[in-house]
Amino acid sequence: MSVIETVADMSFREKSAWGMGLVLSAGAFFYFSKVMSLSEALGRTAPPIIGFVIAYVVFIVIASVIVMSVLAGTAGKEANAPADEREKVIADKAGNWSGYVLAVPALGGLWHYSVNLDGNMLFHLIFLSLMLSQISEYVFQIALYRRGA
Amino acid sequence: MAKAPPITNRIRTLREAQGGMSQAALAEAIGVTRQTIIAIELGKYSPSLESAFRISRVFGLGIEDVFGWETPPGG
Repeated sequence: MSVIETVADMSFREKSAWGMGLVLSAGAFFYFSKVMSLSEALGRTAPPIIGFVIAYVVFIVIASVIVMSVLAGTAGKEANAPADEREKVIADKAGNWSGYVLAVPALGGLWHYSVNLDGNMLFHLIFLSLMLSQISEYVFQIALYRRGA
Repeated sequence: MAKAPPITNRIRTLREAQGGMSQAALAEAIGVTRQTIIAIELGKYSPSLESAFRISRVFGLGIEDVFGWETPPGG
């Protein structure tokens, strides 16, 4: 089965998971590439820059609207249908597992702060954990859709 | 690879016996996506009791005429 056939065979929610996962990954890459280059320039952990955060949020919102509009436009009535029983099970499992992903970098950040008292790093790690958690939720959804349930 | 549930089904055979009913038509009839019907047919997903009854009624059969239980080795 070709890539085009595989994509055409996906349900609307699986396509949405792919779309949102890619959007959030691009946003995370954009945000952390800025933070890392600033940290290298400063020679220490960059402080939280509200401008980066706002740019990240604006990017995510605009890209999400575009991606979801395109997907909904091509999905027809499936886009308006509620999730069926299998899709609900997949969403529940993925949401549960992503909670663990949220905890790991967040706890790592707290441990790092308790040792180094680096509040800037704590901010970035907490922000990273939020991003990774959301991305992983879509990754888990895709894996479960591919597996069957 | 997920372990397949021990629930078997004859949905594909019954669809073909009903003049080649499509997966999409069956999905529409019971209110799930076509991908869920595919997953059920392949034994990758066990439907809820409600969906199992709905599927059976589409074919005009009892639930045990459509679904079965395959006892796993040693089970």
